[in-house]
Amino acid sequence: MNDYPVLTVTTFLPLVGAALVFFRGGERLARWISLVTTLATLIVSAPLYFRFAKDSSALQFVESADWIPTWGVSYGMGVDGISLPFIFLASLLSVLCVGVSWTAVRTRVREFHVALLVAETAMIGLFAAANLFLFFVFWELMVIPVFLLIGVWGGPRRVYASVKFLIFTLAGSVLMLVGIIALHKLCGTLDFKALAGASIARVHQYWLFGAFLAAFAVKVPMFPVHTWLPDAHTEAPTAGSVILAAILLKMGAYGFLRVSLPVLPDAVHHFLLPMLVMSAIAIVYGAYVTLVQTDVKRLIAYSSVSHMGFVTLGIFTLERKGVEGAILQMFNHGILSAALFLCVGMIYQRTHTREIADYGGVARTAPVYSTLLALFCLAAAGFPGLNSFVGEFLVIGGAFETGSWLGAMAIWGVALGTTYLLWLYYRVVMGKQNPKLAGLALELDARELATLAPLALLAVVVGLYPECVLSYLRAPVAALLATGGAP
Amino acid sequence: MNGVSTADLALLSPELILVGMVLALILAAHRIQRGPLALVGTIVAAVASAAAAAWVVPADGATGFGGMIALDGYSRFFEVLIAASLAVAALLSVKSLDGDRVPRAEYHALLLLASTGMMLAVSSLDLLTLYLGVELMTLCSIVLVGIRVDRPASNEAAIKYFLIASFASALLLFGISLTYGVTGATDFAAIGSALRGRSSDPLLLAAMGLLAAGLAFKIAAVPFHAWAPDAYEGASAPVAAFLAAGSKAAGLAALGRVCLVALGSEARTLSMILAALAALSIVVGSIIVLSQTSMKRLLAYSSITHAGYALLGLVAGTPEGASATMTYAGFYVFMTLGAFGVVIALGERGETLDGFQGLAAQRPGTAALMLLFLLALTGIPPTAGFVAKFGVILSAVRADHVALAVLAVICSVVSAFVYMRIAVFMYMKEPLEPAPSRFPVTVCAALAVTALVTLVGGILPGSLAPWTVPP
Repeated sequence: MNDYPVLTVTTFLPLVGAALVFFRGGERLARWISLVTTLATLIVSAPLYFRFAKDSSALQFVESADWIPTWGVSYGMGVDGISLPFIFLASLLSVLCVGVSWTAVRTRVREFHVALLVAETAMIGLFAAANLFLFFVFWELMVIPVFLLIGVWGGPRRVYASVKFLIFTLAGSVLMLVGIIALHKLCGTLDFKALAGASIARVHQYWLFGAFLAAFAVKVPMFPVHTWLPDAHTEAPTAGSVILAAILLKMGAYGFLRVSLPVLPDAVHHFLLPMLVMSAIAIVYGAYVTLVQTDVKRLIAYSSVSHMGFVTLGIFTLERKGVEGAILQMFNHGILSAALFLCVGMIYQRTHTREIADYGGVARTAPVYSTLLALFCLAAAGFPGLNSFVGEFLVIGGAFETGSWLGAMAIWGVALGTTYLLWLYYRVVMGKQNPKLAGLALELDARELATLAPLALLAVVVGLYPECVLSYLRAPVAALLATGGAP
Repeated sequence: MNGVSTADLALLSPELILVGMVLALILAAHRIQRGPLALVGTIVAAVASAAAAAWVVPADGATGFGGMIALDGYSRFFEVLIAASLAVAALLSVKSLDGDRVPRAEYHALLLLASTGMMLAVSSLDLLTLYLGVELMTLCSIVLVGIRVDRPASNEAAIKYFLIASFASALLLFGISLTYGVTGATDFAAIGSALRGRSSDPLLLAAMGLLAAGLAFKIAAVPFHAWAPDAYEGASAPVAAFLAAGSKAAGLAALGRVCLVALGSEARTLSMILAALAALSIVVGSIIVLSQTSMKRLLAYSSITHAGYALLGLVAGTPEGASATMTYAGFYVFMTLGAFGVVIALGERGETLDGFQGLAAQRPGTAALMLLFLLALTGIPPTAGFVAKFGVILSAVRADHVALAVLAVICSVVSAFVYMRIAVFMYMKEPLEPAPSRFPVTVCAALAVTALVTLVGGILPGSLAPWTVPP
């Protein structure tokens, strides 16, 4: 059955859909084409999960073709256990984004769906790329649709937020471009596999690490280059926030795993301490800033800074536990930040306010919504039995092995995380009903329920049986730490 | 020197075709002032001349006229490119010709003659023929800038351009005479062999500086750029597009051949001069462009920045670097013609930045095209602009000019702000003006061609590689 190039088809099918939407008129039709395309993408990607050999750390489903012979760059696709979960996440969330935008987006619907589908191609392609050139192409391709999603369909300060997002990410990625070119000069190849085996002089590694750090740190985002995130996430339309939080932030962390660790091991060891410190600051500082937010969406946006701090902390522990936990946490944060942004978007559509003070007592009129929100808030706070618990546990374990102060910071972050999430839940859902909400039908309809259900299911399944993700990670993480991570 | 043989004339066939059409247009001028005949003639001549450059002359690397003219891979590439930019510029001219009551036959004849000069410049192997070609190009361009005689702005621009261009020609000529004084030759190969193994000499340095300065005027590299924004703004948009595309490509080609063939042994000094020109052009261009609100001025400063990027390839002083510059010039011509094409298609509205407000709501297709060209000018994949930029930065890094490469990419973020501001205006603002009327079919054709090259070049970056043969 595996007689088609799965990765290429999965990557470029959304682009075909985008072309269809662009050239065939009609807003209704645009929505349906978009939904069918994203669902079809999910279906054609199915062989990836069933036929994947979990005990191998090599890239699988490899496709290769000559592309630019003068530069020695080929068109190469392939996935391993680290990238596979994110391809799944990207293709699943694209479907949900179409779902949540069904009625929320009313202006320029066709262009919205074109942007969404182009973004899906970029997301999947990024995780499927087997060489750095292709990785960069998708990395940059991602910026434009997201820029438009924020700037055209966003909130009141959307233009400011979108331009800020664009300038931050471009400033990071052009330095990566120089890094890629320098790597090309030093190694003569941009293939991930060949680069991982290349030996690069220490001094060059330090500079290259800096160049790639500029791009990855902005995307993650790490402290202190996180300031674009609250604006972009807050102003973006719900689908844009979901894509930003769930996938775009993971691109930076994925870059660390794919490029920094295997290709520049000496530099990683050299800069270990500053990276760990920056992660710890992001966790604690991010959590405190989250605590004082008065805007629901901004609160969730800031919580990403703290949560992604856990991810970079886990990666730079260079412990098996820490790295596996970090990747699991990337996946979990993808599910939960998406779910929380979806929840906020759904209720915003009814109340047209994002101020926490305008909410209260939502549970009285919307029990199902409140239950789901409780599930997601608890999961994000690291409640046992739900997905984030396992990831955070692993990361904290890894952190303690690296240094007990790191573990302490991480636990501090978890405690603060529980506080801001439960406090948010308390202020929005519990207590007396806010008079401003009187007379509004807040309960979810079937379409919205269907949009949230897969994420709720995932949160529970991954929480009860984390092996379903971890089993993919074992072999590649072991290989990663053996080749690159070892001192 | 022997007499002129038919083989010699065959080498000049691309130029001769254009000149033939010029004569035909001028002879028939009175009959074709209205109607599309002049346009058709120009397109036919451009296509025929491109075909002649690419296929008709069989022997590769042939030289003629006593070694003054060559039709090698290098000149083939640029001749085809110049013919293409001539054709696109002619297609784009239709709208402004109707509006401004410009005599069609003369206008097209001047376009053709300017292209002839460009082709002569890119295929010359001798400083004197190079000078002749460059001058022919410049004189015709000056007249084209001022051809809208009833507009004071147009006249003023032409006079400014004329004064500065004469100054640049004087520099170039002085450089040529100093080179002759040092080496006793004007022939590139002879200059090259005379310089080999020779200790550096202040006179030679002056000669190189003057040659580089004279040619830097033609490509509008900083600090020899001051004419470009004024000339572009005063000229009609299609003429500005033609100047930004064709004359820049021709100037780069001439500079490339002089640097690599004639002054190849002085590569170290030369690369310092070129690196300074490139860095200045990139920095100054991308900073001044921030404050522009007139689209023609904006694109003028953008073209100055792009001249700087294109020079990055020549800084390396290697054949690969020259290939990267050729690729850059090739793709740049199409993306800048495309961006000008959208400006032209929108007419008066397109001349200012504000005119782009809300375009995406009114004409989604046009806005998407403009976005494509803007992304290409910014250098974002998957457009040809990224491929071009990757190539020149790769060659700069390979030549160990890492600081220059970093400077270049950082400035590309600054100019990204400008290009993306146009995107912000198109996509994120409400329209101020009524939707534009339908575009003439010729303008649509020009936009389609340029968009196709910009997109295909980005998806198949190797597509130009077989043609970018360094001198």
